[in-house]
Amino acid sequence: MKKIRLGDIIIFLLSLVLIGASFGSYGKLSGKPEVRVQAEGREWVYDLSVNTTASFSGPVGTTSIEIHDGKVHVLASDCRNKVCIAAGWISSAGEWIICLPNNVFIRIEGSIEPQAGGVDDISF
Amino acid sequence: MTYPSSSPKVRIEFVALLAACALFLSTVEYLIPKPVPFMRIGLANLPLIIGLGLLTKREYILLALLKVLGQGLITGTIFSYIILFSIAGTFASTLLMYIVYRFFKQWVSLIGVSIAGAMASNVAQLTLSQYLLFGAAAKLIAPPFLVVGLISSIILGVFAQQFEQNSAWYRSLRKGSL
Amino acid sequence: MKTANIRLAMGLLTLPAILLQKSFIGIILQALYVIVLAVSHGRRFRILPNLILLFSVSSAHLLQPHGLQLFSIGNFAITAGALVLGARKAFTLIALLYLSHYMVTARPNFPGKLGKLISLQFYYFERITTIWRTITPKRPFIKAIDNMLLQLSVGGKEPFSTQVKEKASVTSSARNIGKNTLHLIILWTLFVLGNLAIFPVI
Repeated sequence: MKKIRLGDIIIFLLSLVLIGASFGSYGKLSGKPEVRVQAEGREWVYDLSVNTTASFSGPVGTTSIEIHDGKVHVLASDCRNKVCIAAGWISSAGEWIICLPNNVFIRIEGSIEPQAGGVDDISF
Repeated sequence: MTYPSSSPKVRIEFVALLAACALFLSTVEYLIPKPVPFMRIGLANLPLIIGLGLLTKREYILLALLKVLGQGLITGTIFSYIILFSIAGTFASTLLMYIVYRFFKQWVSLIGVSIAGAMASNVAQLTLSQYLLFGAAAKLIAPPFLVVGLISSIILGVFAQQFEQNSAWYRSLRKGSL
Repeated sequence: MKTANIRLAMGLLTLPAILLQKSFIGIILQALYVIVLAVSHGRRFRILPNLILLFSVSSAHLLQPHGLQLFSIGNFAITAGALVLGARKAFTLIALLYLSHYMVTARPNFPGKLGKLISLQFYYFERITTIWRTITPKRPFIKAIDNMLLQLSVGGKEPFSTQVKEKASVTSSARNIGKNTLHLIILWTLFVLGNLAIFPVI
């Protein structure tokens, strides 16, 4: 009668390794950077890694944003001074753009990934 | 060593018979109550495991193809996205089981073959579900699916082993008396 | 033309109308229409698997926030856009599934060698289920299956024919084409209405 063999044990152990590795995914999903927009007294949320455009209305008209390749900027706005458009692209957590006349506030939230040299930049 | 009849017509009919068994076993599986939704024993894979010792490479691939198409026709899913999952799972497990059996036969029993097949099938289907259904969330459902796959494939492997050892039908096939 | 082929053709011609549907309401209507079509041709509809699909695909999309935040659980935003995106995908899949159900209601035959082999497979399948009913006891399972396979192999083959004879009169064929063309037109109309943004946007 055939019994369990060495190869069976090896395949079983490899499967356990695979399963163990798959559990690792639970830690990684939180803390992805998000674009949060406050306008009209409500809040909108977008994934910074997904290209899209969106429009928000405010007291003076419409403000449109564009998310592209992990960065976000104000594409167009009905405000007079266009400071928000001039602010250009932002891409890291903690950065923000505000359009005061139209009452639209755009910020990036999420865990700040430690980068090489990043600590030094802050400390010194 | 494969099923010894030399007539190609008889051999191809035998493949159709095994494929029919897969259909039958999937209806049996459908009737078994399950503790967890989505949990499957994968009874329909039994002919693919048993067929390893009986078929040539070409016949084995044909068996996998017939299993996928037959199930698709019976369940009506043949023209829908579900057939893609069926293709991905069946062919991934077929390929890996064939490789394991063909090259590591001396060191592996049908239990090991079954586990390898289930893991390949699950990984292929989870990868597909990432593109088709769940996006990044597919990674979240991976652990429970793999755990269930491991357990059910061990049960199936023991089952296949038992069948191979106790079946008078299998024995007479190998002896060439059927 | 055989009924099976007409239904296959109708299904294939409908695929783009479902796949390219942009409107959420549009895809729901298309899904409902196709479900009614499949059910009225003898296919079963079970609500639970569809609800599970709808729920799981929608919640999976929440990981990628998109649009208005309805509420949040801790730091996790439940966004309307993500929910609609997921639900639209789920309804597309449901519509495709029941379209497929409808397409096989007339038991289509595959052409060529593979088609013959599939017919043979189904012939054996019928015989297995017939023999299985006569086998007692059914426990232990392995012994029962073994008995069945021995009976199948020893009992030899009965003649079987792959030809399913269909008496297709010209009038019934024409009526069939007419009916399926109507389905086709309705589903494409829903596509056009959806993509012209005539349905309210959610």
